[in-house]
Amino acid sequence: MKLAPFYGCMIPIKYPQMEAAFRRTMPNLGVELVDLDGFTCCPDPIFFKTKGVLDWLTVASRNLCIAEENGVDLVTLCSGCTATLKEARFLLAEDESLKERVNERLRKIGKEYKGTVKVEHAVVVIRDELGIEKLKESVVRPLDDLKVAIHYGCHLLKPSQIMHVDDADYPSILEDLIRAIGATPIDHDRTLLCCGKGCIDDDMPIEMVYDIFTSIKAAGADVMGLICPTCFSSFDLGQIMVGRKKDTEFGIPVIYYFQLLGLAQGLTPEDIGLNLHKVKPDKVLARLTEGAEAAPPAA
Amino acid sequence: MPEDKSQKVTVNFEFRRQLDEIVGGDHHNYCYQCGACVAQCPAAKYNESFNPRAILLNTLLGREDVLLAKDSPIWLCTNCYSCYERCPQDVRPIEVIVALKNLAVAKGVAPEAVASMTENITKAGVSGLVTPAVQRMRERLGLEPLGEYPVDEMLKLLED
Repeated sequence: MKLAPFYGCMIPIKYPQMEAAFRRTMPNLGVELVDLDGFTCCPDPIFFKTKGVLDWLTVASRNLCIAEENGVDLVTLCSGCTATLKEARFLLAEDESLKERVNERLRKIGKEYKGTVKVEHAVVVIRDELGIEKLKESVVRPLDDLKVAIHYGCHLLKPSQIMHVDDADYPSILEDLIRAIGATPIDHDRTLLCCGKGCIDDDMPIEMVYDIFTSIKAAGADVMGLICPTCFSSFDLGQIMVGRKKDTEFGIPVIYYFQLLGLAQGLTPEDIGLNLHKVKPDKVLARLTEGAEAAPPAA
Repeated sequence: MPEDKSQKVTVNFEFRRQLDEIVGGDHHNYCYQCGACVAQCPAAKYNESFNPRAILLNTLLGREDVLLAKDSPIWLCTNCYSCYERCPQDVRPIEVIVALKNLAVAKGVAPEAVASMTENITKAGVSGLVTPAVQRMRERLGLEPLGEYPVDEMLKLLED
């Protein structure tokens, strides 16, 4: 199937290792990625929306128009982009007069929003379009015994009337995707807690990150697995900064789902840029490699 | 008995009308103060000065003085959408808070962070800076260099 990736800003600029992992793993699931020209920032659902909802909605609609003009659905890699583009679709479908206001602006650049393309986060595409079986088939090096504490983040799931991904209180999509690559999802108390990045306050995010990592550490996880670059920034560098303030060290590597998938598909840590992370996953990688070497040949 | 004027509640409907004009702001009218938005709100849990039900009550009263004050609690919202998920009245409290923030920006009383966090989007079309270091990092990962973003076309959409 053909899909147009919407990479957004944070992934290509700040965490291109996530883009590399995505580009190298999706074709193994039978997806042809069609890169489209002309996108801007989604735009950001926190600060840009704070400046002006109508501006935010119009810029989002322009991005959707580009996919419409090319007749191809969008696949997103970032929860923020997913939130913006899916909410824009929702609002424009809900309110005809709002759609007309937005189209009045879009006409200035010769565009019109029609509402003909879908937007889904890549993990949803895998579950709903490609299937968990296809995912399992792509695995050449199962991540046996790797204990992954999942962090869902807020915007993949909520609000469910827009996202339509999973039960927002008892989700299972990421657990299913983690199991499919041979790893073990580890339940912990703060799986669904917000990372805190969206608030303009110095103290609150520190306490949230502290509680999340204390919970993960207590649950005995090897790594944290997630799907959102904003959460990643709160947790990779974030856990080091919070650890300094709280006089502790968590040492829990944070890994984007498509990097975990890349490892399971046999890619090297360099292919997926794991060396760029602040909390190095070296111990975990060494164990995975040892495991592969020590494993008896398949009967 | 003489009327006790101190107990009188005054509603600033003009402020509420301003909010109604913003996309999502009009849903504040549906709030019946049940408090379902508070239970799972992480900001309310971590900071007792934040309470989405109280923000909605002040909105219903049209309390511009509280909501658009420099230290307004609206800026503590983490944008997690739990309140939207919970609300039985489709108030979408987070969207009302965003609409309040829009008014704060329009009146020039928003925190500096709002301008600084969006500066590059209106300058270059993307939220981050594409520096030579970024391009080198991409090259080492075997990725194509990033080109220019169509910021001029995007800016035309923002002129009203």
